[in-house]
Amino acid sequence: MPTVLIPAPLRPHAGGNASIDASGVTVAEVLAALTSTHPALKQHLFNDEGKLRSFVNIYLNDEDIRYLNKQDTAVAASDTLTIVPSIAGGAQ
Amino acid sequence: MLRHASACYPRECCGILLGAIAEDDTRTVTTAVPCANAYQGDQSDRFELDPKDQFEAQRLARTQNLEVLGFFHSHPDCDAYFSATDLANSWPWYSNIVISVRQGAYDHARAFRANETQSESHPEELQCPQS
Ligand SMILES: [Zn+2]
Repeated sequence: MPTVLIPAPLRPHAGGNASIDASGVTVAEVLAALTSTHPALKQHLFNDEGKLRSFVNIYLNDEDIRYLNKQDTAVAASDTLTIVPSIAGGAQ
Repeated sequence: MLRHASACYPRECCGILLGAIAEDDTRTVTTAVPCANAYQGDQSDRFELDPKDQFEAQRLARTQNLEVLGFFHSHPDCDAYFSATDLANSWPWYSNIVISVRQGAYDHARAFRANETQSESHPEELQCPQS
């Protein structure tokens, strides 16, 4: 089963886990399985239209899925998905 | 961290803080990883971390049994406050060090943490032995 690595700010919404196995053969399916087990994660990953929030990046192994096939990217059982929060800011 | 802040002046610098969390929840930063400012535009008052740098930092943290504790960035010729822009583009839980750099030299620094809804931030204490 693919493994999803959870960044620290989202662990309280994921039963305290740093890594969770979730089934699926595409990124979308794996994330759907993840959020059905941990519904509290949903609002942190997806906007009201069900799209991935712009503050959330998903890596399949070493690659940002934005540069692959986005959420339709195929996932193998041995793959790892990493959730990477976007961080920015400024003095003004 | 402070060298990076001076070197990037008059642009904002940014980077990632790795470290450990004690059982009493004290956070100790052991490594500050300087990163390129990925903001497309005037970097004198904006910064953005490249998600790839964060991905690599998360991996580095895992291999060293550390945690990504948060991030640092500089405010050139400004005080070290947590601005509305900083708050809107931050995440809860993480520690954020803001470094004031004046005329290219370190002036002062403060650490902040955003609340769960990112509606406000609070100053916090961080241990940074080798900053
Ligand atoms: Zn700032």
